[in-house]
Amino acid sequence: MSQKTMKSLRIVWRITLLNIRASMEYRTEFLLMIAIGAIWQVSVIVFATVLLARFTGMGGWDSSDVLLIPAIRMLAHGLFVLLLGRMHFIGRQIQEGKIDVYLLRPMPVHRQVQLAFFPTNAIGDLLVAAGLMVGALSRSDLDWTTGRVSYLVAAIIGGMLLEAALFTVVASACLRFPAADYWSRWLEELLGTFGSYPLNVLPRAVGGFLTYALPLAFVAYLPTAVLTGHDQDIGVPYWLAAASPLLGIAGYLAARLVWRWSLKHYTGVNG
Amino acid sequence: MHLNGNIEVRGLSRTFHTTVRRPGFAGALRSLVNPQKVAKHAVCDVSFSVAAGELLALLGPNGAGKSTTIKMLTGILTPTAGEARVAGVVPYEERERNARNIGTVFGQRTQLWWDLPVRESFAILRDIYEVPKAEHAARLKEFDELLDLSSFWDTRVRHLSLGQRVRSDLAAALLHDPPVVFLDEPTIGMDVVVKEQVREFLRHQVEERGRTVLLTTHDMTEVERLAERVVLINHGRLVLDGTLDEIRRKFGSTWQVRVTLADPHTEVGSLPGIALLRHEGPQAVFGPDGPDAPTVHQALKQVIERYEVTDLALDEADLEDVMRAAYVHAESIAEGA
Repeated sequence: MSQKTMKSLRIVWRITLLNIRASMEYRTEFLLMIAIGAIWQVSVIVFATVLLARFTGMGGWDSSDVLLIPAIRMLAHGLFVLLLGRMHFIGRQIQEGKIDVYLLRPMPVHRQVQLAFFPTNAIGDLLVAAGLMVGALSRSDLDWTTGRVSYLVAAIIGGMLLEAALFTVVASACLRFPAADYWSRWLEELLGTFGSYPLNVLPRAVGGFLTYALPLAFVAYLPTAVLTGHDQDIGVPYWLAAASPLLGIAGYLAARLVWRWSLKHYTGVNG
Repeated sequence: MHLNGNIEVRGLSRTFHTTVRRPGFAGALRSLVNPQKVAKHAVCDVSFSVAAGELLALLGPNGAGKSTTIKMLTGILTPTAGEARVAGVVPYEERERNARNIGTVFGQRTQLWWDLPVRESFAILRDIYEVPKAEHAARLKEFDELLDLSSFWDTRVRHLSLGQRVRSDLAAALLHDPPVVFLDEPTIGMDVVVKEQVREFLRHQVEERGRTVLLTTHDMTEVERLAERVVLINHGRLVLDGTLDEIRRKFGSTWQVRVTLADPHTEVGSLPGIALLRHEGPQAVFGPDGPDAPTVHQALKQVIERYEVTDLALDEADLEDVMRAAYVHAESIAEGA
């Protein structure tokens, strides 16, 4: 690792520690934020409970296989909130003139956006996600070979990057049109609502939209299909489903290029 | 510190495209279906330079284009035309390199971390700008002596008063020892004591440290105390670039000499370059007449030599009046164009 990278990592770590310390100084607020992170995922917990208690499966999948979808999505989402989730608050940062301040420092603006504050709610998200993953793995009949575990890890990272890519594109739009911030709320709602289901239970048009227009399917559904061996009726060729983690990386890199272009054309606030 | 701290601006322009808002609900609908775009020239063909170690006041009424100019010089905005170099760097092409050469304070927003104590913000900036620890400590000590920072630097930024916050921002902007400093209304809303402290600090930075400072402000006392040269822009265009003395000579001849004559029946008239403005009984008021009018002191001498007076008073335009006259002049040129 180069000296420059090491120096950058040290600064990121230092600011993160200071941000964590700052958020912990307001004890009640800190605990409330963790709680809200967990409570926010209550619909997923209800979904998982109903799935296990009332149904044997869904869309031709066993309940234990279906449960892996929200587990992967939740873990990917929790990591996104923890590591790259400040993109979600870009509208506020633009309105407060913080982007102008970031542009005055010799540090990438994207990194400064991510270091704006510590996302305490991510702890709640990750606690729920980890619980769900433990539950899903303990009920799974799959043979968890090294290859399968590796793919699971890659799928979670790919899912995180894909979610980050979607929010980065919306954030890029916000740099030009601050009202685009509302789209991030819609996106979050959509990911929360449809992210936990096998998409083959939805009408074909909706499934197609959530695969090709808004690549939600590649976050958790398709990687789970690959892990559980569901290669039929998944809406895409099997090789494409298997490439989900790579699509996450590619999507994120493309989104960062969009971000860079938008930042170049940033026109600021208040004249 | 870098030696080349000059600023060069050539034909700098920035145009924003906005949609015209038509009045009423029907107008709003029409704007939605058929938006009418207009180009707003926030900065138009502005050229000036600031020598290393010089403090220049960039003045103009609200919306004149001052902040947009500063944003282009600091790398926040990219110009639509023209070129700028700050300490030899094109700021909008090499943003991060430019950031190392400049310090910036926006009076209305902070660059410090809101939830952290001031001293921790300073420490983060030290890491970002890669300032050696000993150098950082020495500079912080110097700034503490000038700005009295230690009385509040363990307080979180969100709990600071405006004066404390801007003093912290000033220190933060200079901790990496930049040769060029941009200050956008740094003392706005401050009390007179803190304002004076900040002015002293800035004077010290220019005179002792040789920093180049570009300052925007509406406070003419500040301009008078700090700047030798002024650039005035209005409607995005440069309308004046000169020293304070030159500007006073051009727009400051609004003095009045009021005298009480010893003999109220004295016949009073105009003098060369001096007009009689009013005359009632023993009271007479004189003012400048034409572009070759004398200075207020020369006029006073002439009046006293010509008439026998028992009392006199002088009204000389202060810098605020001078700038007002300059703005009005700029407006009349803009309307005529």
